[in-house]
Amino acid sequence: MISAIRMHLQGIKTALAVRMAYRADFFISAFIMLISEFFGPLLTYLIYSNESSIPGWSMYEVLLIQGIFLLAKGISFPFFFGMVWNVLERVQNGTFDLILIKPRSVLQLVIVTGFDSEDLGKLLGGVALFAVALYHLPPAEPLQWLTFAVLFMISLIVMFGFGVILAGLGIVWIGNYRVYEIFSSITNFGMYPAPIFPKLLQTIITSVIPVAMLGFIPASALLGKPTENTLYAIIISFVFLFASLLFWKTMLRKYTSAGG
Amino acid sequence: MIIKVENLTKTYKSYERGNTFREAVYSLFVRKTKYVEALKGISFTMEKGELVGFLGPNGAGKSTTLKILTGILFPTGGKVDIMGYTPWKDRKKYVAHIGAVFGQKSQLLWDIPPIDAFYLNKAIYSIPDKIFKKNLDNMVELLNVGDLIKKPTRLLSLGERMKCEFIMAMLHNPEIVFLDEPTIGLDVIAKDKIREFILEMNKQGVTFILTTHDLDDVERLAQRVIVINHGQIVFDNSIDALRKHFGEKKVVSVSTHNPLPSLDMPGVLVKNKISEYNAELELDVSKLELNKFIDYINKNSTINDLLVQSLPIEDVIKDLYS
Repeated sequence: MISAIRMHLQGIKTALAVRMAYRADFFISAFIMLISEFFGPLLTYLIYSNESSIPGWSMYEVLLIQGIFLLAKGISFPFFFGMVWNVLERVQNGTFDLILIKPRSVLQLVIVTGFDSEDLGKLLGGVALFAVALYHLPPAEPLQWLTFAVLFMISLIVMFGFGVILAGLGIVWIGNYRVYEIFSSITNFGMYPAPIFPKLLQTIITSVIPVAMLGFIPASALLGKPTENTLYAIIISFVFLFASLLFWKTMLRKYTSAGG
Repeated sequence: MIIKVENLTKTYKSYERGNTFREAVYSLFVRKTKYVEALKGISFTMEKGELVGFLGPNGAGKSTTLKILTGILFPTGGKVDIMGYTPWKDRKKYVAHIGAVFGQKSQLLWDIPPIDAFYLNKAIYSIPDKIFKKNLDNMVELLNVGDLIKKPTRLLSLGERMKCEFIMAMLHNPEIVFLDEPTIGLDVIAKDKIREFILEMNKQGVTFILTTHDLDDVERLAQRVIVINHGQIVFDNSIDALRKHFGEKKVVSVSTHNPLPSLDMPGVLVKNKISEYNAELELDVSKLELNKFIDYINKNSTINDLLVQSLPIEDVIKDLYS
């Protein structure tokens, strides 16, 4: 365990060194990563400043959901989501084999070597948006903060599940860089209050693919208006994680039987 | 015995796709499955400290064998026991004891110095500080790379990079090292240095399996050669035995004062009759001894010049491949 953590830190250090080799590119990329995430919040601002609104939700409440969504992305993208592109690239150019000859978990190695530092821009954006929204909202109770913290951790688990599934797809679906579009079109549902969606869609995003966990559910808890399906969504989140790991194992086995 | 391979088979499933536009569109919906037998039951054993060359034309099954032995692929059938492990079953434990250098795939990181990649491997293999330092110093000296390991990898020449690949693959004291075309694209001096290094490590007890198309590599390094073709082992013996595979043949170039006598005799194959006084031929010394042949030519035509060489190993290999 200790040696796994040590390796992880060394991996991050190495990945940072690689990225820092081109400093200007690093800062520009980080900035673009940040800007590209602000489309959702901008849309929210435009809706509310044109005297429309989402019934039952103030602008800052919606921005809080989106801030939390961005925060979840800001943590998962640099720290583990890079595995998706890492696997895609490695399978395509044949260096995935080099991962398999190391005495470590393949999943950990693709996470470590896929550390994506420029996505730290997203984290900055998430923190900023979260702080601005909180500033304009009434202060939350300690219990609300605690519930939020737990649910936010679970949102990272859901993100991890998504990363593992997309990385698994990258093993068999060689060179398909469209996976990110699939991911963002599904997860964007987590960026808005669930009640605005039709009932069936609400059920899907809480009880089938727990997308609502990525922003909406933790935000609701922090705002003191938890949704009724929260417990169910928690259970589904863990099922999702388990299913994603199973999928990864199956895909890995497929790779080792076919040779990429 | 360090490696034991028994009746190893591997069948790939692939899909046939036509070459016309119509067939390509059709294949988007319906694909024809095709089975390719890459390995048809190969068996061999290796002792600790051996250095074995794996030869074979492209697509013969060399890479498949290497991938199975390194735990990357699992076979369709057969048994492999390497140091008590089954590579594809005990992958994580097993690969801690092996190293690999792929001539065409780099383990170094392009934008940062090799030394950073070495430190990453140190963490991955949990190499203790003392051993890491000792091995690094030792190999840096042997390969004469000095401060190069602190320069960004992209600034190094191919030869310098390949030397660093070897360091990367051997920092954790592997007992067996797999080399896949390690000298590809290198100049003669770099090749020499790499070969010296392999021989030195082999002397220290490391077992090597080497696949290559460079026959010089094999002649300089391998004590034993395994030739694989169409998924089967067609030859497994020493390099000398490989030369003698078709009997002991010599290539003879001869020029004479008087026109050459008749060369139509057992053991002699005229390859190129340049003129009446000049010819290149292949002599099977198991059928006609060299001194008798020289005597015969000299008596009849008086030798002016004579060059006798061993049959190039390429010719033997070409024959085994066909």
